Amino acid sequence: MKGEVEKCVNCGFCESVCPTLPASGFRSTMGARGRVDLGKAFIAEMNNAGGSELKISDSFYSCLDCFACLQVCPAGVNAGKVSGIGREIAAIYGQHALEKPVARMIVETTMKFMNPLGVREKCAGWAKGLAFDSDSETLLYTGNMYQLMAYSSSLGKLKMRLGEKAADFMAGIISRHPAAARLSGMAVDRRMRRQMDAFLRDIYFLLASAGLKFNYLGVDEPYPGTFIYDLGYRDKFLEYGRRIISIFRYHNVRTIITVDPHTYDILNVQYRKYFSDFDFRVVHYLDYLRDVRFAGNGERVTLHEPCHFTLREGNYSGPSELVSGLAQLTFPERSGKRTMCCGGPDELLFGEISGKISEERFSQLKSTGAERIITACPICFANLRKDRTVIDISQFLVERLEAGAVPKSS
Amino acid sequence: MNIADRLRLVHGSTVLTGREEIIPYMRDASYFSGKLPDAVIIPGSTGEVAEIMRICNEMKVQVTTRGGGSSLTGSPVPISGGVVISMARMNRIIETKPSDSYVVAEPGVRLDDLNRELGKIGFFYPPDPASSMAATVGGTISTNAGGLRAATYGTTKEWILGLEVVLPTGEVIETGGRTLKRSKGYDLTALMAGSEGTLGIITRAILKIWPLPEATGRIMAYFREIAPAGRAIAELKTRGIVPYVAEFMDRLSLESIRIAKGLEFPDEAQYLLLIDVASTVESLDRVMDRAAGIVRTFDPISIATTRNREEMERMYEARKGLYSSALSQRDSPDEYVVIGDVVVPASGLPDTLEGIREEAKRFSLKVVLFGHIGDGNVHANIFANLSREDVRKNVDGFQMSIAGIALDHGGSVSAEHGIGLEKKDLLKLELEKRGSSYTIDLMRKIKSAFDPNGILNRGKIFD
Repeated sequence: MKGEVEKCVNCGFCESVCPTLPASGFRSTMGARGRVDLGKAFIAEMNNAGGSELKISDSFYSCLDCFACLQVCPAGVNAGKVSGIGREIAAIYGQHALEKPVARMIVETTMKFMNPLGVREKCAGWAKGLAFDSDSETLLYTGNMYQLMAYSSSLGKLKMRLGEKAADFMAGIISRHPAAARLSGMAVDRRMRRQMDAFLRDIYFLLASAGLKFNYLGVDEPYPGTFIYDLGYRDKFLEYGRRIISIFRYHNVRTIITVDPHTYDILNVQYRKYFSDFDFRVVHYLDYLRDVRFAGNGERVTLHEPCHFTLREGNYSGPSELVSGLAQLTFPERSGKRTMCCGGPDELLFGEISGKISEERFSQLKSTGAERIITACPICFANLRKDRTVIDISQFLVERLEAGAVPKSS
Repeated sequence: MNIADRLRLVHGSTVLTGREEIIPYMRDASYFSGKLPDAVIIPGSTGEVAEIMRICNEMKVQVTTRGGGSSLTGSPVPISGGVVISMARMNRIIETKPSDSYVVAEPGVRLDDLNRELGKIGFFYPPDPASSMAATVGGTISTNAGGLRAATYGTTKEWILGLEVVLPTGEVIETGGRTLKRSKGYDLTALMAGSEGTLGIITRAILKIWPLPEATGRIMAYFREIAPAGRAIAELKTRGIVPYVAEFMDRLSLESIRIAKGLEFPDEAQYLLLIDVASTVESLDRVMDRAAGIVRTFDPISIATTRNREEMERMYEARKGLYSSALSQRDSPDEYVVIGDVVVPASGLPDTLEGIREEAKRFSLKVVLFGHIGDGNVHANIFANLSREDVRKNVDGFQMSIAGIALDHGGSVSAEHGIGLEKKDLLKLELEKRGSSYTIDLMRKIKSAFDPNGILNRGKIFD
């Protein structure tokens, strides 16, 4: 953290693009510069007094990790990275109540069930009746991400209703007894589950249209551990990641087809960084669709570019390349390296902030005048679906498949 | 009852007192750090600001107002604790009227956001400090910020038509108005420009706006010496070509930009002269050719022109981020950056720069030089470990010395950053040198008339 914060001269450029600052009522430590300032103060106290009583968790846990700050910082300071390290510190010093109980709950449940809410079996429901090639070394890996949105959305609302303290109390119980998390399976947004299942089936048909044969692990498919990494539990992530790699090896996987930006990013960047034997080929499903026959029309659409494709290390432009060839694509004012997060990563921990950010982003997308808003990430979809004009890119592409391109099994 | 509890009765959750919540409000973008405030409050309306001021005035509590926190002189640093009022929530653009050449904005609107909105109707607000991404309407009025376009458009004070101001007593006054002309006694609007939050709190501003130039182009010329670059600018102006933007950067600046943005430059270059020319679409090429022809006669190492917006924007962003990116040139992480800000009549700039270079050598300081060559404004980023007393004294000595050079050339100790905490001695030096020391007494009397209890940003500009 020291290396990162000491590059900062406090110019404040990062505050102008940080989504959590306005959404928190402009409380400085809930924005990028304030997080760096808090990091500086924390380090100074640790160095000078051997400890710190600063309550750093709200500031660092509320960071969306969108890295918008990094794009505008002239000195290359990444307040997102500072927050990540801050969360690691909170995890290490968890016994001093720096960590968020909900964060601990998610980690413990994931470690036990290989799914943040203990609903792995339910996450396989979308594939019922679809045929997969169990001998294939190519794996369609959903990472449970689309599926989990139906639960996290409901839980976020429930947490808002219960209030912070009651939610933390419940999270504390679940952390000690992870099996209790499976009750969250009852809190499902059924409409969203239908939508998410449909998107996954669309993805399946798109890949089938490309002539691809692939395997899917069904109820054995594990969550990739993104939350564990993002919440700063590095030791747990190393243990968890090792288990994931073993599962891939057991199923003779050579190529992993991801369907969302978070899984694509964590496998391609963090797994490669932390596990020297992570030698799988990781691709996004859109990459297989270059030769599929689509028919464009004149529909005016806008695209919400996911942070994990646009602002972080991956820099993946698959969605815009495909959509721009099939419709009249108008980007919102904040796009490209200035794109704005949907607020989704804060949904469970800071629901109010997340809600305000998604309202703001939705309004920016609407102001393009586009007939439909396309998302390319399940978290973005879940947070931005304020009306029926918001769709996932998989739906958009299936609608554009030329007649005869859809296999009979659909 | 303490001030935080008293404020909380009225303003609830917008009053921050947790140590981890208020630490960031101790600092601006300079090397100064103040005391931990007793409370930070983030009001949302003029009425709320007035109520806060009534309470603070009654309890005689110090108040420091904060805009974007991008000041380079310690102006919004709370040196005696008290209450910090952040204007961040008051960030609405209230009215835009191009037919009458004005926009009405709240103080927390950031300048880049304002110009993004105005750009949609073909207008802009010309003051353009390098910090425009973070700097706010209120903050830039308070420091009378200048910026990259000042050679053509002047500084902030030339673009304020009227203000709404909350006085320390809680009264709300209006100065100026929505008209381009006014003559109604003392110009309190002008008085607020550069007053650094010592007289009142700006809660609304009526700002003059201007149509965007039809077209702009850029000339980038690299030199071995600064003198011919300075003479090139003087010649352009003499021949009636006033650059839209005219900047210079020294070798270390260019190296900083190379690290930060990957922008390359010729090996033998010591200085870059960056000139933007604005004109009509039809005449831009002709004006650019003429300007480039004039610059060529001063033998640059290389010269290039462009009208590519993306390319121009990339360099412009790099220049604006130079204060921060130049940090890559420091020798140790213990070093802070101190930024100098002197100004001379533009024709005196080459001699001034030579003088500053000599002094940097004499004081054994590593200094990055850049600035606005079109209006004679030099910034000197000085790297120094300010935790050492001897180093601090050395930096102070250097600052006094370059201030002396600027004054000898008919300039000033502060061009566009204000006085704040940093330049109080320099201001005294300038006024003494001009035989005008009484000016500070007058300023004190004016402050006393506005702020009888001395609660607003005491200790800034003068003691």
